[in-house]
Amino acid sequence: MSRANGRLHLWAFLQGIGFFPGGWRHAAATPEAVFDRAYYERIGRMVEKARFDAIVFGDQLQGRDAAGRTPGRLAIPTLDPFTLLSAMAGVTEHVGLVATVSTTYNEPAEVAAKFATLDYVSQGRAGWNIVTTAHPNSPLNFGETELLEKSQRYKRAAAFVEAAEVFWGSACGKKIDRAALKSDWFEIDDTLDFVAPPQGRPVLVQAGQSGDGRDFAARTAEAIFCPAPTMEAGKAYRDDMRARASALGRDPDGIKIMPGLALVIGGTEAEAKARHAEVLELADDVLAVEYLSESIGYDLTQHPIDKPFPIEEIVARCEFPAEGVRAQLMPAVEAGTAIKDFCQAYARKPRGHGIFVGTPEQMADHMETWIDAGACDGFTLQPGFMPFELEVFCDEVVPLLQQRDLLRTDYQGPMLRDHLGLGPLA
Amino acid sequence: MLLSLTIDLAPDEIGAEGFRHFSDRLRAIDAIAPDLVIFGGERDTALIPGRLEGLVNLPWAAGLVTSAAVVAVLPALHGIPFHVARALSAIDFVSAGRAGWAPVCANHEVIDRAYGQQYAISDAEAPAKHDDFLRATQALWDSWDQDALIIDKASGEYLDSAKVRRVDYRGPYFSTMGSLNAARPPQGYPLLVRDMNDLSADSELPADVVLLGAETITEAEDAIVRLRAAPGTANAAILLKVTAGRSLDLPFEVEGADGMHLIGHPDAATVAAARARLPARTQPGDTARARFGMAPPINPFTQKALV
Repeated sequence: MSRANGRLHLWAFLQGIGFFPGGWRHAAATPEAVFDRAYYERIGRMVEKARFDAIVFGDQLQGRDAAGRTPGRLAIPTLDPFTLLSAMAGVTEHVGLVATVSTTYNEPAEVAAKFATLDYVSQGRAGWNIVTTAHPNSPLNFGETELLEKSQRYKRAAAFVEAAEVFWGSACGKKIDRAALKSDWFEIDDTLDFVAPPQGRPVLVQAGQSGDGRDFAARTAEAIFCPAPTMEAGKAYRDDMRARASALGRDPDGIKIMPGLALVIGGTEAEAKARHAEVLELADDVLAVEYLSESIGYDLTQHPIDKPFPIEEIVARCEFPAEGVRAQLMPAVEAGTAIKDFCQAYARKPRGHGIFVGTPEQMADHMETWIDAGACDGFTLQPGFMPFELEVFCDEVVPLLQQRDLLRTDYQGPMLRDHLGLGPLA
Repeated sequence: MLLSLTIDLAPDEIGAEGFRHFSDRLRAIDAIAPDLVIFGGERDTALIPGRLEGLVNLPWAAGLVTSAAVVAVLPALHGIPFHVARALSAIDFVSAGRAGWAPVCANHEVIDRAYGQQYAISDAEAPAKHDDFLRATQALWDSWDQDALIIDKASGEYLDSAKVRRVDYRGPYFSTMGSLNAARPPQGYPLLVRDMNDLSADSELPADVVLLGAETITEAEDAIVRLRAAPGTANAAILLKVTAGRSLDLPFEVEGADGMHLIGHPDAATVAAARARLPARTQPGDTARARFGMAPPINPFTQKALV
């Protein structure tokens, strides 16, 4: 079965309108469509036909505003992930549906009920990308003033997942482990009567990077979404996670490592490079300044953007931790770089993920090389902008991957666990 | 007269075959074209959250129930306004303005135990928390103006920054800053349904649809007079609860009722019998609020209600 399932796993990470902040402006982008059901239905069917394991939606628990000013040139964040995946469930039969949900500002009972419901309406295709929340504005949306310190966030996450497991077990008729409902974080007395998830529980996905994050992922995750800017970085990460899993007595093949990969594909290399350049150009100066403003929690648009950063004013008032912001901006301050120039460079390579620019053949080569090197088990694709780049990938790269026996030509079972080659739950 | 009903997942509708049965049941109901379908459970005659989580079920169900307004029953004392506001915004978009919510207190003792001891609350205190939950959630929808989005590729203007704001809502139980990371729902606020068999019955907040349980004509008419006199429900659509298997006559005999809400697990034949007596008066494509004659809500930040 593992052979028929392919050596290469594909996930589609659909962040709003796509990977590049200016991508929504491209002539082939459809930014209004992200508000329509038909768009999600079409994307779901397309990804299923291309035999992806799953669709993943990211999440944030705050608006995009920096100090209260919402950017005027950046697209709205992804709509609620559960909603989009639930709508897609109705028009697909195989593709997995992975929602990113934070353990920091939620309750286990509610999250367990939501995933049981998503697993039911999709008949066994739900996955949970378990994240913790570190954005300084998020606590203020949930009646808190301070973020949880990082190791505390991961402790809460572990207790949260343990409690959620009890809810799912109970829904499936297992005896309730009441001790697991009590922790430093939760004082839960009983489970809820909700529908049994067909998979027993959602597939557990993680995105841990730090020591705490990797440790949590090694214990919990069945798939990991991570940045891997180079093949060497990918291999080092995968080797580390497999070693951690083995040390914990887990089968390392039970964790699929799925680095993010943004893509711009063209009929020729020159065409791909031209479109990459075109999409970067669409991020004009003000857009780029808004993009950095969001990531430091300070509205830079109030300053002349062709002048250097007023660093002391920024670190005195930014919503992100001042020392981190100072460290990020100091090289530009010392070099006297104009705000807009620094922001342009920042907006060109978002979020530390690899970016592939080339032909379908080159992309298939790239993927095969990484798989052969043991640098990953597949890729979490981040189309440059939607839906165009994803359509090109499905039409032109997927057949090549199938010809090379890397990607399955048919699903080997109905559930997300089947696509990942995970056996049934114990 | 409007036709509404409650649907919950039956205990035996599990497994692949049970799932097909549930899906077929929704299609059969859709073919009858009721005006409102509420997804939730029942305890006695009161709405309670159902065996499918309301917000996650609704987008899928809206693909099968294609013309009616679709409503999720939510635990008002346990929900988190930011998550609820965000999900209902998305649901309202993907259902083309057919979404509604029914936040209830009923069954809270059971849900309290599953959420944890800090959620324990007395029946006396519950209505205040219910109202605070509603206000906080609606405040987050008000963090966006209806016409905030521009989406002009040529100029690069995506939205008008002056039309999105932090609301900094601070209530006795819930505080939330905003802005919401989701646009104002197409309806402004999704359709709000209140159950008069719930602890929240005495709320003075406006409701768009009221479900009223009554045994006799007099009881129902007295209740309707009281609802019409209260500012929050003066314009609400008042639907009389009728239990499946009993006479459908009551809503036709009561002065001032706007329609019928079927409870007690009505099957398709029961819904069809009710529809036969209540000719459809709305059109597919109507938003939920339009179907129930509700004006778009006014955003307190702009004093405008755009659609």
